[in-house]
Amino acid sequence: MRLKGLFLSDMRFQAKYGFYFLYAFLTVIYIAVLFALPETWREKAAAIFIFSDPAAMGLFFMGAIVLLEKSQHTPCALAVSPVRAGEYLAAKVGSLTVISLAVAAVLALAAGVGNLHIVLPGTVLSSAVFSLLGMIAATKIASLNQFILWTIPIETACFVPAVLHLFGVTPAWFRHYPANVCMDMISGRIPSAAGILAAAAVTAVLLLYSRKCVLKMWDSMGGSKI
Amino acid sequence: MIQVSNLSFSYTNQPFISGMNFSVAPGEIFGFLGPSGAGKSTLQKILIGMLRSYQGSAMVNGIECRSRTKKFYEEIGVDFEFSTMYEKLTARENLLFFSSLYEKKPRPFRELLERVGLEGDADKRVADYSKGMKSRLNFIKALLHDPVLLCLDEPTSGLDPVGSRVMKDMILEEKAKGKTILLTTHNMQDAAELCDRVAFIVGGRICALDSPHSLILSRGAATVTYTWLENGEQSASCPLGRISSDERLKALIAGNRLQSIHSSEPTLDEIFVEITGRELEYKISDNLKPKFIRNVE
Repeated sequence: MRLKGLFLSDMRFQAKYGFYFLYAFLTVIYIAVLFALPETWREKAAAIFIFSDPAAMGLFFMGAIVLLEKSQHTPCALAVSPVRAGEYLAAKVGSLTVISLAVAAVLALAAGVGNLHIVLPGTVLSSAVFSLLGMIAATKIASLNQFILWTIPIETACFVPAVLHLFGVTPAWFRHYPANVCMDMISGRIPSAAGILAAAAVTAVLLLYSRKCVLKMWDSMGGSKI
Repeated sequence: MIQVSNLSFSYTNQPFISGMNFSVAPGEIFGFLGPSGAGKSTLQKILIGMLRSYQGSAMVNGIECRSRTKKFYEEIGVDFEFSTMYEKLTARENLLFFSSLYEKKPRPFRELLERVGLEGDADKRVADYSKGMKSRLNFIKALLHDPVLLCLDEPTSGLDPVGSRVMKDMILEEKAKGKTILLTTHNMQDAAELCDRVAFIVGGRICALDSPHSLILSRGAATVTYTWLENGEQSASCPLGRISSDERLKALIAGNRLQSIHSSEPTLDEIFVEITGRELEYKISDNLKPKFIRNVE
């Protein structure tokens, strides 16, 4: 019940701040670009679009959301409510994943990418990983400039290997790197069991660490120096 | 409801709160009074479980604050000094959201909104509210889940006299329902009117703790000041306890010549200054005054 309330509130918040409108607009632009490309490029272009935007949106928007919440002091209210850090995280990650999933599905269908049953879970996995990374960064910053500085190394570490992997430029020992596994799934390729295991392990670690970061952020609302 | 023993806390190496001991009974309104930076808000944050790295013991509703779980907050309502609302959402949407976080059935929104005069603005975005409206909305948010302990930080700050009166009446109504209320303020009039007991906090220590009435009585007897006309207006004072032996006053009363007569007790402000040697509000020091005035001009 509480999780449902948080989830719906986050969706309402995102709607009020124009996230849905923005992504509806961006989807139209992406589709127009996809159709402007040669047909043989579309599947790879769609994979790059999905990986770099709807799947990765959590990395960027989590910062904006948490900064806005901090500016309105709402984390203070949540810190003295029965809301658990895990519920707060689940609602944020879940609500952003809904947008990721909807945009990815439209782009994949428009580009004629097969294996939607792999593309969509891949989008969910990528969205969760990026949103958790976004939350970790957002809890540690006080301004948008700081957030941008935090996200640059994350983007580099996630996007460069994944895009190279899409074009087959990956050493064998680096195939199970979680960003590569996500890119595999988003491009409709079935990942290896070891890859899924590695991605699941990284997601679990991020989940635990981001929960700790949320608790720390709530504690810092009390003014304590940790 | 609250039992604090040997409580100490520090943000740095220097102790910020030290050696505090007090208890608050169920149904009591207990005030923390003191100048800014005295430790009032820090103490309240400890009692609501936001600061847990303290020494000593702080028990609230039978739970040690440092080991509180999230269940602890089902019975606590906190009204911060600042707004904690989602600005883009309406008042009604905010109340709906915050009430969904608790297990208890919420109090009817309409009734609460009506009580603080916001029923006509319930569907307005909080961003469009004035400071006083946000303050009133924040207050009813703390009441939504009908908590047994209310922690109010400067609840009348930014309110006009009518709003302030409504807020104080609502606080007294909650007390009448048996709620325990912690009031953090540096408004002595509010404290004298609302609190059963007050603690004067300065430099992280409790300097005095008693009911406002007892504090006033303990600081000397009231005096009576009277005026009469005799070559212009004259005035004189005498202690209330010795009024029958003031021959001049008796003569003035017998001759119906009194212009005015009133008794006066020391105020909580005066007692605070006397006990702590500090003014409650920040004042511009004398050597800064000319510069400040120049800048204003």
